[in-house]
Amino acid sequence: MPIYEIIIVLTLVGLVMTALAVVWFKDLISAAIALGASSLLLSLQFYLLRAPDVAIAEAAVGAALTTAIFIFAIRATDRQEGFS
Amino acid sequence: MRKSVAALAFLIVFAFLLLGMSQLRPFGEPENTEMDDYFLYDQEEGSQAHNQVNNIVTAILFDYRGLDTLGEATVLFSAVSGVVTVLRKVKKSGKEVQG
Amino acid sequence: MNWKMSRVVRTIADIMVVPIIIFGIYLIIHGHLSPGGGFQGGAVIASSTALLIIAYGSFGKHKDSLSSLESTGLTLFILIAFLGLGYTVFYNFLASGGAVFGGTVPYGINPGRLDSGGTVPLMNIMVGLEVTAALSLILWMMAKGSDSMDVEEASV
Repeated sequence: MPIYEIIIVLTLVGLVMTALAVVWFKDLISAAIALGASSLLLSLQFYLLRAPDVAIAEAAVGAALTTAIFIFAIRATDRQEGFS
Repeated sequence: MRKSVAALAFLIVFAFLLLGMSQLRPFGEPENTEMDDYFLYDQEEGSQAHNQVNNIVTAILFDYRGLDTLGEATVLFSAVSGVVTVLRKVKKSGKEVQG
Repeated sequence: MNWKMSRVVRTIADIMVVPIIIFGIYLIIHGHLSPGGGFQGGAVIASSTALLIIAYGSFGKHKDSLSSLESTGLTLFILIAFLGLGYTVFYNFLASGGAVFGGTVPYGINPGRLDSGGTVPLMNIMVGLEVTAALSLILWMMAKGSDSMDVEEASV
């Protein structure tokens, strides 16, 4: 198996694991950081599939701006998941 | 009960995804290439001959399909208008204040 | 509430802001030669705004200027689109004309030159202005609405 496919499979496994971590975390700031990591792995996957335009847009919007906006929204509301 | 329904839905979606994945073409070999040849190699209307642009993705986004980019910019403008409208400063009595 | 972060974070943010903005400007003005374009470059520049707001916990009173910059970018984009109306909307009337961005590129695989493309680089710049101002304005409003930013009169 060439090194290219090994990197693709490792990236996909990490993508599924970070997506599950977003669901499992009860602390919402941890979930936001996991979502940022998932976006970064998705951008690496786009780059490996030869779409560098989409990779740059995903890395900038998904990993930086969305995480910042989520953290601002969590500061304005509750930090823990669930009703209180 | 809920978990078994969720597991059943997950299995059905997973089976459909596997069925679709078995029909995929190999990576980098699309089915129809007439439009690719038009944008890449056409000597009169292609990206390099007509627009003098090397990056064909940008040529498609900003020249051939410019109206789509205009719609995307309008969507972003509407999103900003919505955020500014929702988060504007409102007094306790319900009256708006400037700023 | 005061969300100002420590001196280490602020120093690193000061160092990193300039390369981020320069990379965004590179993505915008080389949009017709290499991967990137107006939207990607604008998003990268707006992430520097997020870095400054998170590190300092305060930002200047820029709402009106950002709003007018966004409107200016969108209006100039539509104006450039309608300038080619002698043929069709979005007609590339500047390509290989010898005027601004009017150079020609040879056929085939080549590194390209910056002075080519006609209206495509101009539209990239306009969309870059619009996306930068729009995403920065969303971040500004969210930070101000969630009380995690002090608005000062003087810019940082």
